[in-house]
Amino acid sequence: MFLGNLGSLAYFLPELAVTATILLLVVLHVASKRKTSSAPAFLALVGVGASILLAGVSPPGEGKAIFEGMAAYDGFAVFFKVLTAFATLVVILMSMDSGELAGRSKAEYFIFLLATLLGMFLLSSATDIVMLYLSLELVSIPSYLLAGYLKGKERSTEAAMKYVVFGATASGVMIYGFSLLFGMAGSTQTAEIGRVLAAGKPALPVILAAVMVAVGFGYKIAAVPFHMWSPDVYEGAPTPATAFFSVAPKAAGFAVLVRFYYTVFAAHDAASGLWRITSSMDWPLLFAGLSAVTMTVGNLVAIKQENVKRLLAYSSIAHAGYMLMGFVLLSPAGIEAILFYLVVYLFMNLGAFYVVVLVGNSARGENLSDFTGLGSRAPFAAVALSIFLFSLTGIPPFSGFIGKVYLFAEVIHRGVYWLAVVAALNSVVSLYYYARIVRAMFLLEPKDPSAIPVPAVSGAMLVLLAAPTLVLGVYWEPVARFASASVKMLAF
Amino acid sequence: MGFVDNHILSLMTFLPLLGAAVLLCVPRGKDDVIRWIAAAASFLPVLLAVKLWFAYDRTVAGVNTASQFQFVEHYTWIPSINAEYFLGADGISMPLLLLTALLSFLAVIGSFGIEKKVKGYMALFLLLETGMMGVFASLDFFLFYVFWEVMLLPMYFLIGIWGGPRKEYAAIKFFLYTLAGSVLMLLVLLALYFNTTNPETGGHTFNLLHYMAQGTHNAWLKGFDVRILLFLGLFIGFAIKVPLFPFHTWLPDAHVEAPTAISVILAGVLLKMGTYGLMRISFPIFPDATRWFAVPMAVIGVVNIVYGALCALAQSDLKKMVAYSSVSHMGFVMLGMAALTPLGMAGASMQMFSHGLITAMLFFLVGVVYDRAHHRQIDGFGGLGAVVPVYTGFISFAFFASLGLPGLSGFVAEQMVFLGSFEAFRPFVVVAACGIVFVAAFHLWSLQRVFLGPLNPKYATMEEINAREMFCLTPLGIIVLLVGVWPMPVMNLLNASAVRLVDIVKAVL
Amino acid sequence: MAAFLASLNFSDPYFAVLVLLVIALAMAVGFVFLSQALGPKRYDRIKFDVYECGVDPKTPAAVRVSVKFYLLALLFLLFDLETTFLYPWAVLYRSLGLFGFLEMAVFVGILLVGLVYAWKKGALEWQ
Repeated sequence: MFLGNLGSLAYFLPELAVTATILLLVVLHVASKRKTSSAPAFLALVGVGASILLAGVSPPGEGKAIFEGMAAYDGFAVFFKVLTAFATLVVILMSMDSGELAGRSKAEYFIFLLATLLGMFLLSSATDIVMLYLSLELVSIPSYLLAGYLKGKERSTEAAMKYVVFGATASGVMIYGFSLLFGMAGSTQTAEIGRVLAAGKPALPVILAAVMVAVGFGYKIAAVPFHMWSPDVYEGAPTPATAFFSVAPKAAGFAVLVRFYYTVFAAHDAASGLWRITSSMDWPLLFAGLSAVTMTVGNLVAIKQENVKRLLAYSSIAHAGYMLMGFVLLSPAGIEAILFYLVVYLFMNLGAFYVVVLVGNSARGENLSDFTGLGSRAPFAAVALSIFLFSLTGIPPFSGFIGKVYLFAEVIHRGVYWLAVVAALNSVVSLYYYARIVRAMFLLEPKDPSAIPVPAVSGAMLVLLAAPTLVLGVYWEPVARFASASVKMLAF
Repeated sequence: MGFVDNHILSLMTFLPLLGAAVLLCVPRGKDDVIRWIAAAASFLPVLLAVKLWFAYDRTVAGVNTASQFQFVEHYTWIPSINAEYFLGADGISMPLLLLTALLSFLAVIGSFGIEKKVKGYMALFLLLETGMMGVFASLDFFLFYVFWEVMLLPMYFLIGIWGGPRKEYAAIKFFLYTLAGSVLMLLVLLALYFNTTNPETGGHTFNLLHYMAQGTHNAWLKGFDVRILLFLGLFIGFAIKVPLFPFHTWLPDAHVEAPTAISVILAGVLLKMGTYGLMRISFPIFPDATRWFAVPMAVIGVVNIVYGALCALAQSDLKKMVAYSSVSHMGFVMLGMAALTPLGMAGASMQMFSHGLITAMLFFLVGVVYDRAHHRQIDGFGGLGAVVPVYTGFISFAFFASLGLPGLSGFVAEQMVFLGSFEAFRPFVVVAACGIVFVAAFHLWSLQRVFLGPLNPKYATMEEINAREMFCLTPLGIIVLLVGVWPMPVMNLLNASAVRLVDIVKAVL
Repeated sequence: MAAFLASLNFSDPYFAVLVLLVIALAMAVGFVFLSQALGPKRYDRIKFDVYECGVDPKTPAAVRVSVKFYLLALLFLLFDLETTFLYPWAVLYRSLGLFGFLEMAVFVGILLVGLVYAWKKGALEWQ
C-alpha cells in the first residue's frame, strides 16, 4: 500500500524539479561574475513552470501514499502544488519588476523563494507529523530570510527578527502538541493517530494537543490571536515577498490545517461524505470562534492603517478568517469553498500587491498619500487596483463575490447562522478601508500630477491578474469543477 | 424583428452596457462623440420601452404565476448552483421599466454639462443603467442580487468624483449603507436557496416564482419565527433603499452632493427599487409575515411622510429640501403597500411612477438654478420670477405636482393611497393627511422666498432656462399632466398585478 | 463538565507530566510574583546599574559578538549532522547496494553545493 522510495519518485517530479532548480541557482550564483544579472530570475521561472507542468503529469486518481506513508499524492496535494507554484511564478515576475530589489543580487532571493515553494509542496502532501514539522520549518525559515532580504533597511531587519522569534515560538508549541499526539498513538502517521484517537482517548491530552497544534497552524495562516507578526513582517519585507507571504504560505497553511484536522481529529463518513468529530472536544466550534475573531480584528484594525502594505496585511488576516469559515463545516462543500476562494484570492491579492510594487517603484513609499491621484497619473494601474480591491470586498460582478457566496452558502447550509451574519457585517466594514484607497486614487487631487509610466510587461501582468478577477465573477465553472475534484484527500 | 421581440428585456438591459464598451474605445478628447454615443445608447431602451407599452397585455396579472409573465427570457446560466437567466415583466415592474428608460435618457442629456472626465462619467452611467434595468427585469434572485450590487460601484464613483463639496463623505456613506442592506439580503437569499426545492427538478433554485409557491418550502422555512426573521432581514435591506425612517440618513447627503443628473436617477429610480423589492420579493414569498408586520410598516410610512415634510420645512438648501420631500413621498408608497388593499397597492405603484417623474423634474430644476448661481440657499435668492419667468413657470408646475395639486399625477396617486388605506388604518391616514399641510407649506414657502417677493439684485441678469434643460423637463411635465387628468392608461398597466399581489398577501388565493 | 472530570485518569503517566508542568509554572511565576509583592521597595539609583563585580561599569553593557562565531557554529551543525547521517549508512552500506550509494551521493552532493556556496561567499574565512 505504501510506495517505497524508488517507486515514489515518479510522483515526486515537481519537487525534484524545484530542487534541481535550487541547486542550479546556487551553482550559477557562485560561478557567475556579474552579480546582478537576470539569469537567476529566468532559471527560477523555468524551474517553477516545469514543476507546474510536472504536477499534472500523473493524475492522482484516488491517491497514493508515497515515501512509506510520509506524504500523500492525491488531488488535494496536486491542487495546492499548482496553486502555490503559480503564485510563486507571479511573484518571480513581480520581483523582476520591483524597484526595491533592483540593484541587489537576486539569486539568493530566488533560492529562498524556491526553497519556500519546496516546503509548501511537502506541506500540502504531508501525512506524517515529522514530515509536517520539517516542511513547516522549510516553509518558515526561508521566509524569515525573504522578509529580511533588504539588508540595509531597518524595517526589513526588524520584520525578519519578529518573524523568527514568533515563528520559533509557534513551532515550538506546535511540536509539543505533536509530541502529545505521538505519545497517545505510538505512531507518527496522521492516519494512524486518527484511528487511535477515534477509538477513544482521555479528553485532556487530546484537547491540549488540538489547541497546541492550532497555535502552530494558526500562526502560519495568521489567524487571531497568532497574527501579531503579520503586519510588521508584511510592512518590512520587500513588497514581492509580502505578496508571496500573503498568498502562498497561507494557502499551504490551510492545506495542512484541513488535512491534519480532518485526518487526526475527525473521521470520514463515506456514506454522507461528511466528517464527524472523534473526540469530546468541539474543535469546529473553537475554530468558528477563531474565524469570527480573526475577521473582526483584521477588518477593524485595518481601518486605521496609513501604510498600504500594513492595510493589506490586516486584510489578509481578515480573509484568512473568511476561509476558516469553510473549515469548521466538516463537509466537502466547505473544503471546496476554501479551495475556490484561495484561487480567486490569489489573483486579487497578488494583483493588488503588484500595483503597490509599481507605486512603490515611482514614489519610493507605500503610504496612502503615495496613492493620491493615481487615477489621473496611472489610470490603467488605478483601475486595475480598484478591480482587485472591490473584488477583495466581495461585491458583484467580481470573482471575490463568488468566492464569498460559496463560503456563505455552505455556512448557511450547515446552519451556523451567527457566523454568516458576522462575516456579512465584516464584508461591509472591509468596504470602508478598501474604498479609502480607491478614494485616494480617484477622488483626491495629487500633489504631483506627473504621469507614472507603467512598463509594458507590468501592464501585461496586471491584465493577466485582472482578467480572471473579472471573468471568474461571471463564469467560474472550470475553477469550481477543479476545486470539487480536488477535495479527495487520501485516506489510509 | 423576431430577435428583438424575443429578447426585448435583455436588449433594454444590455444595450447601455454595449454603449459603454463602445465609448470606452473613443480616443481621448472627443467629448462630444462620447456624449452622443451615450445618448444613443440610452435612447434605444426608450424606443424599446415604447414597444413594451404597446405590446403589453394589460389583462394578465402574473405576480406569482410563471405563465402570466410577459417578455419572458428563461435560460440556464450557472448549472452548478442552479442560477437561471430569467427575465420577465408584469404589472409591478412595467411602469418602473418605462420610468427607468425615460429617466436614464433624460439624465444623459442633462449630463451634457459635465466637463471633467466625460468618458468615465458616461461609461459609469451606462453601467448604472444596465444594473437598474436588470433589477426590474430579473425574476431569478441571484440575477436580481448581482444587478442590485452592480449599481453600487458606479454610484460611488459618480457621486465621489463629480459631486459637490462633501462628495467623498456622501459617496462612502451611500456605499456602506446600501452594502450593509445588500449583505443582509444575501444571507436571506442563501437561506431561501437551501430551504426550498425546485418543483420540477427537486434540487435547489434561485427562481423567485418557485419561492412564491408555498409547497416548495421545507419544514424549517415553514416555521413562523424563521419567516419573520427572514422577512425582517429583507425588510431592512430594502428599507435602506426606500429610504424608510430611521435608515434614511444617507439620502440627504447623497442627493445634495451628487451631480444633478445623478440626483435625478437616484431619486427617480433607485429609491423605487426598495419598494419594488418589497413588492416583488418580500410580499409574495412571506405573505404571513407581511400581514404580521403591516401595522409597523404603515406607521413607518406615516413617520416618513410627516418627518420628511417637517425636515424639508427646516432646510435652507433647496436641493436638500427636495431630497427630504422625496423621503416624504416614499412614505406614501409604504403606507399604500402596508394597507394591503387593491386600491392602496395600486396607489403605491402609481405613486412610485408619479414620484419618479416629479422628483426628476424637481432635481433638474434645482440643477438649473445651481448652474447659474452656484449655490442653493433659499434665502440667498429672491424675486427670480421677474428675471426668469419660463423657469419659474416650470418650477411652479413641478412644485404643485409635488404637493399633490389635483389635475397632476401626484394627486391621483396620493388619493388612491389615502382611499386604499382609510379602511385599514384610519388614524394613520388622518395623521398623514395633516402631514400634507407641511408638504404644501415647504413647497409654497420656498416658492415664495425664491421666486416671489423683492428681487435680489445679484440675480437681476440670470440666464433663462435653455433649450437643453427644457428638453429634459418637457416630456416629464407632459406625462405628469396627462396622468393627472387621465390616469387610466397607467392604471391599466399596473392594476391587475396590484390586485393579485394583495390577494396573495391576504391569502385569499 | 462532570463527564470531563470523570474522564481524568489520575494514574495516567501523562497526568504526572501535567502536574509537573503546573508546579514548574507555578514556582517560576510564583517566586517572581512573591518577591515583587512581599519584598521591600527602596529605590536607589545604583540598583539599576549594570553589575560588574562591584566596581563602576567601565564599558557599555551590550557587547557586540562577532558574527563569525555564529557562522562557525552553524556550519559545524550542518556538516556534523551530515556526518551523523553518514554513520548508519556506512554500517548498512553492503546491504543497500547501488541504490543506497546513489541516494547518499545525492545527499552529499546537495550538501557539497552548499559547501561550495559557503566557501565562495567567504564564510570559511576566519577574518
